[in-house]
Parts: sequence; C-alpha cells; structure tokens
Amino acid sequence: MQEIKKVTVKVPQAYLDFMNQIFEIEKKATNLKEENSIQRNINKMKGIMEEEFFKGTTTIGLSFHNPLGESFTDTRTDCEATISGTSVENLEIIEVIKPIIFYAYQENDKTLKVIVQPAVVIVQSKIIHQ
Amino acid sequence: MENTINYGIDLGTTNSAIAKFVKGEVFIFSNPQDMGSRTLPSIVGYKKDKILVGKQARVFAEREPENVKSVFKRKMGTSESFPVKSLNQSKTPIELSAQVLKELKTFVNTGDNLDAVVITIPASFDTIQSNATKEAGIQAGFKQVVLLQEPIAASLAYANMKKEREMKEGQWLVYDLGGGTFDVALIKIKDGEMKVLDHEGDNFLGGADFDNLIVEKLIIPKLYENYKFSDLEDKMKSASGKFNAVYLKLLRLSEDAKIILSAKTSAEIEVSGFADEDGNDVDIEIVITRSEFNDLIKTYIDGTIEMIKQIITRNSLKAIDLQFTLMVGGSTYIPYVRNRVEEVLQIPVNCEIDPTTAVAIGAAYYSATKPKEIEKTGTKVKTSISIKTSYNKASKEKDELFSARVTGNTDGLSYRITRQDGGFDSGIKKLSERISEDLPLVDGAFNFFSLVVYDNQNNIIETDIEPIGINSGFGISGQPIPEDICLEVDDYDNPGETRLVLVFQKNTILPTKKTLTFPLNKSVLKGSIDEVIRVNVLEGTHLALPEANKPIGIMEITGSMLKRDVSKGSDIEINITMTETRDLSVSAYLSMVDQEFKEIFNPKVRVTSVNYLKEQVEDLSDKLELEIQEATDKEDFETAGALSKLKKEMETVSQETESLTSDDITDKRYQLEDKKRKIAQEIDSATKNKRIQQVKAHYFEVKEECEKMLDENGNDHERKTFNDIVAQESAFFATNSPLKIQEKSDEIHSINSKIRWRTPEFLTSIFQWCKNNQTRMNDQAQAKSLVDAGNFAIESKNWERLSEINSGLLNLLPKGAEKEATTRIGFGL
Repeated sequence: MQEIKKVTVKVPQAYLDFMNQIFEIEKKATNLKEENSIQRNINKMKGIMEEEFFKGTTTIGLSFHNPLGESFTDTRTDCEATISGTSVENLEIIEVIKPIIFYAYQENDKTLKVIVQPAVVIVQSKIIHQ
Repeated sequence: MENTINYGIDLGTTNSAIAKFVKGEVFIFSNPQDMGSRTLPSIVGYKKDKILVGKQARVFAEREPENVKSVFKRKMGTSESFPVKSLNQSKTPIELSAQVLKELKTFVNTGDNLDAVVITIPASFDTIQSNATKEAGIQAGFKQVVLLQEPIAASLAYANMKKEREMKEGQWLVYDLGGGTFDVALIKIKDGEMKVLDHEGDNFLGGADFDNLIVEKLIIPKLYENYKFSDLEDKMKSASGKFNAVYLKLLRLSEDAKIILSAKTSAEIEVSGFADEDGNDVDIEIVITRSEFNDLIKTYIDGTIEMIKQIITRNSLKAIDLQFTLMVGGSTYIPYVRNRVEEVLQIPVNCEIDPTTAVAIGAAYYSATKPKEIEKTGTKVKTSISIKTSYNKASKEKDELFSARVTGNTDGLSYRITRQDGGFDSGIKKLSERISEDLPLVDGAFNFFSLVVYDNQNNIIETDIEPIGINSGFGISGQPIPEDICLEVDDYDNPGETRLVLVFQKNTILPTKKTLTFPLNKSVLKGSIDEVIRVNVLEGTHLALPEANKPIGIMEITGSMLKRDVSKGSDIEINITMTETRDLSVSAYLSMVDQEFKEIFNPKVRVTSVNYLKEQVEDLSDKLELEIQEATDKEDFETAGALSKLKKEMETVSQETESLTSDDITDKRYQLEDKKRKIAQEIDSATKNKRIQQVKAHYFEVKEECEKMLDENGNDHERKTFNDIVAQESAFFATNSPLKIQEKSDEIHSINSKIRWRTPEFLTSIFQWCKNNQTRMNDQAQAKSLVDAGNFAIESKNWERLSEINSGLLNLLPKGAEKEATTRIGFGL
C-alpha cells in the first residue's frame, strides 16, 4: 500500500492573524448598507496574499474560505464547530468566527493546498433556522 | 524489535495524547485530524454507521448527550454505564476509554505495531479504577499495559528535561489545572524513586469555567449597560434561547481573550452581529484587563490553594520543605494562577515544562525503562483484502462520489478515508463489500485522500489500494491558451510608442484571471472626448510589437464617462478574466474616481474600433516609410528591399481603411485589421536586427552610466541588483528579443534613478529648475516656503530634506509640467 505523505506546514501566526483581519473586514463590508467599493480593496489584498506576496518561493500563497451557509457534518474536519440550538440534524453554518485558511504550494508542477487554520464556526439545524 | 515499551499515553479526562521514546528523546504524535494539535479530546460519539472520537465528537457532545459521551474517566471502575441511543445499548467507561486509546493508535505514523504501552492514571485512582484502565488498554488491542500516576509522569518529564541535575532526593507539588479538572499531588523522591504521598482534587474546575465567567460577569453587564435586553443570560444559555448562538460565539471569543491575557495586560472582545430588543445593531468593543480577569478567577484559584494547604498540614510540612510547585495543565499558562499560588504558599512555582503534554512525555520516558513482556506469537494480523476503486480523477464538482469494491473477508474490519490537507475525515466505518463516500474537494488544487483499513483493535490492515487523487479546478479537463495574452501599455523609454506586457502565458489553463495595476501616464479631464484611456488586450507572443498581435478586446474610457478628473500617476486596475470557453472579460477600475468599467468580449465577435484601426494603419504606414528611409540611408539594401515590397500592400490597406465609416457593419474592418497585422509582422521581422542593435546600444549606454554612478554613490544593495542583471546578460541577449533587452535596460535605469535622487548635484539642479519655474506654481505661498526651506537645506547640506522639498515643489507644478524637469525620474509607467 502506498502511503500518502502527510504535509504539515507551520505558517507564522502573524500571517494567519493578517488573513483573519482581512476576513473580518470583508465580513463587516458585506454588512454595510451604503454603496461602497471596499470589496475591491479587500479582493486586492486577498489577491496579493494569494499570488504576489510569496513570489519567488515554492509557496504560492495564502487564501481563505468563508464556509458561511454551507452544511456541516461530522466529516468536516476543516471546521471547529459549536452547535447552537437543540437539534443536530441538517446542520448549517450560521456564523463564522474565523475562516478556513489554506496554504498553497507548488510540488512537481502541481498546486497543492493544506489547511493551516480550520474555521471556527457556529452551526445550527436548518429546520429551526428557517 | 525493540525490547522496551517506548510508548506512553496520557489518557486524560478532557484530552489525551500519545508519545514515543526514541533514542533518548520523546516525540509527541500530532493529531492527524486536527491541524497542529497534539492532543485528542477524550470524547466518543456513536452514529448509526460509525464511531466518532475527538474533536468531531466534541461538536455533538453537548447537544446529543444520548449518543456522545465525555468525561467518562470519572466513572472508571464503577458499574455505571452510558446508554447510547443510536446503538440501543450501553457502553461502559472501559469501552469508551478503549475507543479513545484506539483512536490514539491512529496518530502513530511510524509503522510500529503497538502492542505494549504505558497509560497514565490520576493519583487518586484506586485498584478497581486502575484495573479498569488496564482493561481498556487490553480492549484497545494492547497486549501489555503498564500504569503510571499522572503527577509522577509530569515530574518525570521535568526530571528528564533537567538531565544535568541529580534528582535523587526531594519533594515537591504537582499542580494540575486543565480544561475541566484540577488535581494537586505531593511527590517525594527518595533514592531515585518517585512516589505520590498525598493528593487532592476537584473534578469540576478548569479553564472552561473561566471562559464562562468572562461572558457572565463582564460581557453581559456591558451589554445591559449599552443596549436593551431582558433575561439575556437565560436567552443565551438555553439551547432553544434566542441568543444561544451568540453565547457560544462569545465563549469562543472569551477563550481567545483569556489566552491573550496570558501575554498582554488587556484584550478586546468585539461583540457584534445581532440586534437588541429594540432592533438596534449591537456593535461594541469590550476591553478586558488582566486585573479584571484576575478578580474573576480569584475565588477559584484560592480554592485550589486551600486544597494544597490541607495537603501540607496533613503531612506536617512547611513551605520550606517543598522545592517547588510544578505547574501542569493548560490553565497554568495564566500568569495570575502562577503568581497567586507562589504568593500564598511561598513555594516557588516551576513552569519549565509544557503543561499540556508533560504527562504524555513523562509516560514515554517511563515506558523506555519498562521491558516488553510479550510472547512473540505471530501477532501480525493477516488478511488478504483487495480494494478496487472507482472515481473521477478530475472534477469540477464540490464533491465527488468515490466507490470501491472490497474482496476478502471484511468481518470485523473498518475503514476510514481522510483528506491529505486534514479537511475531511469520514470517521471509522464498518467495511463491507461495497463502500461509497462523497469526498469533498478543495477547489483549484490536487486533492489526495487515503483509505486505511483497520481491524477491530484499530491495527492497520495491509491492502493493495493506491492513494486516491482527484484534481479539482484545472488540469486534465482544462484547456490551455494557444498563445500569450497581453496588454498594450505605453513604452516608457520611447514616448509615443507602446509595448506589450504579458497577462497570461501560453499554455495557461483556462479559466484564469489576473489583475494588473498601472499608474496612468496621462491625466484625463472629466467630459473630454479626445482624452482616452485605452485598454487593449492582444493575443500573440508578448515579445513582439503590439501591432503584430491579434487584438481580442479593446476598451476605451473617455473623459465623458468619468465622474471627475483623473490625474496622471493615479492607479488603473485592470482585471482580465478568461473563461473556459475563451470569453474574455475586461474590467478597468480607476481608483481615483472609484469607477469601474466592464466589458465582455466574445472573440467570435471581434471588437475592432474603426477609428482605432485607422489610427493604427496610419501609424504603421508612417513607420514603414521611416524604416525604408532609414535602411536606405544606412545602405542596408536588403532590408530596404524587403520593406519596399510591403509598401504597395500597405497603400491598399490605407486606402480601404480610410473609406470605412465608423459604424461600418460588414466584416471589412476585420479583414483590414488582419492584413495590417500581417504587414506589421513582416516589418517587425525585417527590422528586428536593427531594433536589437539599438536596444543593445542603449543597454550598454545605461549600463556604463550605472557603473559610474554606483562607483560614486551606490550602496551594496544597488550594486547587488546591478551585478545580478549583468550576470544574466548573455542569457537575455540570446533571446534576440528587443523587448527583453529593453526590460533589463529599464531595470538598470531604475537603479540609476534611485541613485540620482540621492546625489546633491541632481537634487540641486532639480531644485534650481523648480526655482526658475516658481512663478508657474499652483500655490505661490507654499512654493515660497518650500523654496526657502530648499535654500536652507542646500546650505546645511541636508540632501534628504532637499529631496522631499523637490517632490513637494514638483507637485505644485501645473499638470504635465514636471515632465519637463524629470522625464526619467520614475513617474508613470
């Protein structure tokens, strides 16, 4: 049996903190009612971290994913969940405190990603939520 | 085979860990399912088809207590059992502990066959409880289980860390405050043998209680103060309460704040994302100081100190008889805990070991001294399991169905599929002849999964399965672009000319996107029609001249489309996206006006502006004339001849283009465009040599200038940059691409500019020029004060200041005027 190499990547906490801040800003910007173009600057920042920042190294970059609204099951180890409410059926992510952060790198011409920060989320049964 | 046990397990009430002793050192295995964590929550959950252990079980622990069991360690050795609803049967604490131990086995990636282990137990465990722990180990598949008391394990971890110190005699306390339990033990070492003399504990005290206190005593009162709520605490704590989700979030944030308070004197908690009873949005930042937090936990910590005092009194000891208090458990990171314990007891605290893993480490050290006593009776489980898999190797879906057919005897076997990045874990499921699983994929990456088969004691069973690899987002199914996609930009060194920058390289897999930012090279006034910002996307090698490539999309932004004027130097952000079906969309964003212009080009309908075509044809025609003239002057008759042949064709194209109306609907413009491009390509190849010679000459000129400047005023960094470029000289000359060589000249040129901006002569001359143009400046008063300051700066030889003043003065000039002074100083592209 061929074993899959487990990759463990240690990304300095400051980078993760930075990504979390971008995420926070994005979260706040989406709540703004007045018209604005903050999202553009956020996308730019995300783009820099995803493609530009680590140029010249085997690291491709850091990106995050906001799993808000996605369903949650016990197989999802990319999220650290806390269940709100009484039911545990049909769980949906209703609040994201921290996003999933991916570290992308190049190996043998392939782009590989590793999770360097699981999301911290609150989940609730869709049935109650509706 | 090693003849000592070498493996130690901390089977904790809330968290467990496994460590191995290797050649004098101990390694703690990390939890493969929990990024970066070296511990496993001691929680077991039963679902219909699988068993969850650890973090994933913890998620369901509070809400589904009928199926998820935790803190069963407290019930070890009792006849009590835990009913599991989903299974319709009860599980004993031994069975539950065995599950945790089995899960810990899967942490081990060394390929060892784990048959013997040291497991730690609290000092308070009696014989029955100890035997029960042993039984759990046997049920988990260990053939030999040796028990060790936790305070001793922690002390061993400490003693081994302090190898140099002889620890033959002495006594100390082990203070163990974890996430949910507290224990204190008195340890005595005599003739090198450690013993627990006395112990006390509270099974319901730990870090989780402190998080709750922060929410209850600090956050909720602040919310009452600033917003309108009634019965907030109830509504938060009740599972069906309106603010239950908020409460859980606040607990998380409080835990983070608690951790921060161990390092800093204050921490902020941002409470937002819900509304109060009047419908006002809650958005408040609550600052918690370390002293506030200390006040909260004081009573609890004093309670633990009382227990220690009891031990001291019971054993007729004085503080002076104890060497130190060894701090273990995550909550001992809290500075107040350390200080308070030390202050009240007057015994120095010892925080030298990692409080979360000390027990497992100590157990591993101990295990290295215990010989294995197992008969070698072909313990290796033999099965011949063969697995045939079936799944899509490339997928664009969010998840992909994986199915497999298993041949061989699957009785009592189970399997588990995990994703390499740690984002998915199927849990341990029963193996049957056919298995299927939805595997979630990470977008835009290769997803690797591994399927591992276990026997009923979680020993790995060999199978013939290969790693499961699914490519998501691109690769096999993606199609490459046949040619470079480039953008036409102004050529900084040849005013009026343009060149290409690469956007997507040939063979890039679609879909793809890129954002590029450039400073504008000119100002565009609001309302003007003549001033145009042109975004021209072309297809073809980026090393060629723009007119030799196929335009696939051009977007024009005129002043009439702008909300206000845009200045030269402000950024234009160009975002280019190409879909799999080669639809090109271009959006340009002008940061200064906060306006975005977007166009989607479908290459089937080539967007070619007639006016632009006319302009280009005219330029090309002029260029051809010029080239012929030049070649003839240089008596390069070969080139001149080749170019003259193109002349006739060029004339036809010129005439036909001229006759086009701007709203011509036939495809004539495309044909002409095509012809024009072919002519341009031919001119390009006929004159390439000439251009290469030119750029080379220019390159050497710039290089020489730079060498001189580096000698006089360069710093090490600039020298290195320069040397790096020069070292590549033969390589970029060999490309025979004028653009490549030009690029390098530009790089050297920018070194020159940087140095020049530091040299007194240049700064003084710029200043002098500005002074001469003082009357033209927009703000006369400011100009005067800057000029005065500049004179002073020159007198006092403060060149740094002069450089700032120059920038200030240049900014005061009317638009475009600064170019006269600083054509090559690095404004614009």
